[in-house]
Amino acid sequence: MRKFFPVDSLARDSRFNQITMRQSQADPRTVLVGTDAKQRPNSNRLTPQRPDASDRARGLMHGIFVGEIQALEGAGRTCFDFETGAGDSTDNVPFALKLDMARQAWDEARHVEISVKLSEWMGTEIGQYAENTVLFEAACSTDPVLRLAGVNRALEGLAIDVFTTMKEFGDIAGDPYLEFCEDWMLADEVTHVKMGSDWLRRITENDPERRKKALEFQSVVDKIFSFGGTRSDSDESPIGLARRFRELAGFSDDEVEDIATVSLAALEERKAFAARARADAVDQFSAS
Amino acid sequence: MADPFKPRAPFAPWDRRQLPGLFDVEETARRVGNYKWAEMKLFEALGGWVATVPELDVKMRLGTHCYHHAWHAELWHKRLPELREMNPDRLTQPANDTLVEFVAALTEPEAPDQTIEKLVGVYRVFIPHFISAYTFHMNNTSEITDAPTIRTLKLALIDEFDDWRDGEMMLQSLIDTPEEVDRAAAHQARLEKLIVAAGGIAGPGSIGGN
Amino acid sequence: MTVTVAPQEFKFVQFDAAHIARIGEQLTQLLAIDRPVHIEVDETTPLGRVAVELGDTITVRVQSGAFEDSRKPREQSEANTSVNLGRALLRARDRLQGGFGEAPADSDLSLRQVAAWETYCVGRLARLGLQVNEQRWRYNFRNRHGFSDVSDIAFDQIWASDGLTWGELEAISTAGAEGAAEGATRP
Repeated sequence: MRKFFPVDSLARDSRFNQITMRQSQADPRTVLVGTDAKQRPNSNRLTPQRPDASDRARGLMHGIFVGEIQALEGAGRTCFDFETGAGDSTDNVPFALKLDMARQAWDEARHVEISVKLSEWMGTEIGQYAENTVLFEAACSTDPVLRLAGVNRALEGLAIDVFTTMKEFGDIAGDPYLEFCEDWMLADEVTHVKMGSDWLRRITENDPERRKKALEFQSVVDKIFSFGGTRSDSDESPIGLARRFRELAGFSDDEVEDIATVSLAALEERKAFAARARADAVDQFSAS
Repeated sequence: MADPFKPRAPFAPWDRRQLPGLFDVEETARRVGNYKWAEMKLFEALGGWVATVPELDVKMRLGTHCYHHAWHAELWHKRLPELREMNPDRLTQPANDTLVEFVAALTEPEAPDQTIEKLVGVYRVFIPHFISAYTFHMNNTSEITDAPTIRTLKLALIDEFDDWRDGEMMLQSLIDTPEEVDRAAAHQARLEKLIVAAGGIAGPGSIGGN
Repeated sequence: MTVTVAPQEFKFVQFDAAHIARIGEQLTQLLAIDRPVHIEVDETTPLGRVAVELGDTITVRVQSGAFEDSRKPREQSEANTSVNLGRALLRARDRLQGGFGEAPADSDLSLRQVAAWETYCVGRLARLGLQVNEQRWRYNFRNRHGFSDVSDIAFDQIWASDGLTWGELEAISTAGAEGAAEGATRP
């Protein structure tokens, strides 16, 4: 088995269809822009009040399910890809960090189990929605510190936002299982973010350059994980920014503000991109 | 109520633990270091394989078992300083080069159609050797002086037995044809030869004899 | 009955107008629809809303997500096209055949009423042999009626029904929602 497993080799059974972020973003259709503003909903936030709430929740639940699979795979790979050492170079990590990643693998495996059960409860079949592989892509860095910043702080931070949205959804809808399960998963994700923050600080204690690079990488991943506007403080985004739980996970106020800014920027970029893609599609159609 | 000041035997009649044991502190530390190394290699392999297996149930089990063996490695890591080894890394070693060869062969399969080989290596070869070495150690060390090692062995063995059963169930559910039986047997034989040559996870004498 | 589709060619999605029309024709036959059907697909949005206008022609306005294969974005799904078009046509047939005169206009239906009527439509489609996931519709019904044994009983009753009037449908739905509100939650 090789070190550093490429995202396009992630193993799945025949029910799954994987797409990249680029393919996903190439869709010119979006609820964010359009000629008829009246037809657009006032808010894209996922709440039970939406007419399509059940289907949107099912879609998001499937997104959580495949995200958990990729998080499991990412944590597992970090156990294998690096030698055990002092963590002073990019080819090794401390023994205790590997133990944390193994613990995270177990947690993510449970989250996959929970997501499968919840999906059944919501009437969704495994593989019913396309799987965006962007999460694992962030777990492919060859520097373990960047991987921690990208996976534990950015990805697991996104998970905090998503689970908070779903927990609130279940709570308002009165769904006893959804609220219960999301609350448990949220507790684990806060732990994983703290793991990432602690290791980032410890490993880069005497290496400010490496820390800076890791934080820059996290910022890039945070922007990618905003899924082109899917997560932000704006009501135009289906998923909000869970400020309170992020504080619990060890994010400083400044860091939360940075993520909020980056997420809003991603939302605006997505709108501009969708408008361009829409115009391109019309041009191509006219030319054909 | 009985008189609380009446002298009682320090070892109750039902407590048959014995003082003598096969291993001194140094030998125990060596074995524990070998165990830690082997458990590390096992949890790393399980973690690495998660992304390579398409079967969803297997993927989840590997992630769960990955932590079990990481926890065992952690328990052995913590035991080493109690055995006068203040630098646990010094004794975190493979029993011999053949065991390194075994781990290299164990972790060779990567392709998505090699789940049988991956599981055979872990659940029909490596874990049975953990079970035998741990059982031998537990039954032969001093029940009084080495009680902390026995406790860790017992905890680890609970996982080893559970994981072995999980793995065997998965394998039996994956092996459908005579060709697959042959594949599993051939891979098992290849790995078994290597671990036999290594003498087990703690080298020759893993289960006594030498 | 004739079925027409607009647009005839799609820019943003890989849908086939002729294929949609064929599915529409099969459904009009299966559901005994007595007038022409015109299907307008809004391909600019990935949402999946379906609206119906009744007249000499039944006009079905569909957002592209309703006909899409969620596994393969922008591609058409035959199963989703059938079920989502089928439930729109059944709702139209209910209004046209009588018994649903008291039903509010589509835009005035509450989310609970929409869920009950969809359950009624999809249950009938399932019995006609269309491929549906009952649990999906049960979950939708629970979201609008409460997560309780009482609401589940209401769902089962509506799902298995044929020939309901709006009054009967509304009565079962209301009883299901009220039972949940009274705290008849599942253990």
